[in-house]
Amino acid sequence: MEKLLSSLITELRRGTLTLAVLSQLRTPQYGYSLVQLLEKSSVFIEQSTLYPLLRRLEKQELVESSWDTSESRPRKYYVVSEYGIEILEQLKAEWEKSTKELENLLKGDVENEPD
Amino acid sequence: MNLIDIYIQEVTRRLPKKSRDDIALELRSTIEDMLPENYAEKEVKEVLKNLGNPASLASEYSDRPMYLIGPRYFDTYMTLLKIVLPIVAILAFFVIIMENINTYSGEEDIVNGIINVIILILGHVIWGMISAAMETFFWITLVFAILERKDSSRSKSPLTPSWTEWTPDDLKSIPLITKEKKISTGDIFGSLLWIAIFISVYFNAGHLLGVYEKVQGKIELITPTFNQEVLHSYWLIVIVALIIEIAFVFYKLILRQWTSKLAIMNTVRNIVSTLVFIIVISNDQLINENIISI
Repeated sequence: MEKLLSSLITELRRGTLTLAVLSQLRTPQYGYSLVQLLEKSSVFIEQSTLYPLLRRLEKQELVESSWDTSESRPRKYYVVSEYGIEILEQLKAEWEKSTKELENLLKGDVENEPD
Repeated sequence: MNLIDIYIQEVTRRLPKKSRDDIALELRSTIEDMLPENYAEKEVKEVLKNLGNPASLASEYSDRPMYLIGPRYFDTYMTLLKIVLPIVAILAFFVIIMENINTYSGEEDIVNGIINVIILILGHVIWGMISAAMETFFWITLVFAILERKDSSRSKSPLTPSWTEWTPDDLKSIPLITKEKKISTGDIFGSLLWIAIFISVYFNAGHLLGVYEKVQGKIELITPTFNQEVLHSYWLIVIVALIIEIAFVFYKLILRQWTSKLAIMNTVRNIVSTLVFIIVISNDQLINENIISI
């Protein structure tokens, strides 16, 4: 049961990953700084999912990347693109809408519960 | 340090060449970010464990499918296999029977001879059917694996026979198969077995059918019933009739149910085989004279 639950939770969260990541990329971040930023808001994303996700977002032109070689260790910075901001706003609206819908559903769930 | 190098190598070797260097560089800087100043192997292991199995990390990075045939093609692939594999196996069955039909020389003891020939042909047939099916399976799978990789559409929904998106109108071209109209596998197998027996007997009648006598403890064919040369002289029309029979079985195999078209074909098939039978039987040289004199 625990295995099933954890896989269902992963599935539930997967769709929200893009939204969570895009929302934190208004300022440029590199891989690990993004992880820390998300963890500060207690959003834990598997790192093996996050880094490939960043590349996919770049390919979809939602984020832009640049290498910073001025520090001791080269880092790849990602920042949301103009197109990405557009998408982010729409995703955000969609998210707010669906949480409200789901909230209503779940409230009904409690009310319909048999005594 | 060494472990990190190996880990990066294990991820990047699974990726397309052009993205390897960039991902390797990014991965290294990320791993180093996660490590404390003076790290030991234990900490490296901890970080790498966090990143997970290199194969699954690579599959996340890769755009290429990590499976041979995906949901888009799987249904078409399976449907095609189910139609083509039995056809190929059956074709192999007949080709091998025809190839081996004259193996029996007629010199051995008839009982042992026939048993030997049956075992021999059966061996060839089973092996031939398996290898023909394997080869077909291989090529169909290869073609679909390539299609899967060349398909640029992101759609995961299964293909329809018209290669377009599914609409309820597609249902109109599919007949509803009722129980009464269904053609059973047994029916098809029966027809095939009958054709195989017919081929074997017809082209060997000269040394299979006739009067047997025990000569010096061995059973031998003394007088054949049929004149094999006469039988052979009709080979062309017999083969034509057989091809029609076999084609009909294949058609049944594909349709899997009785339709009016199939019924018409069945009538044609019966007329042809009856005509051929009448032509062959009406030859007065067909029956061996010696049999009549007995």
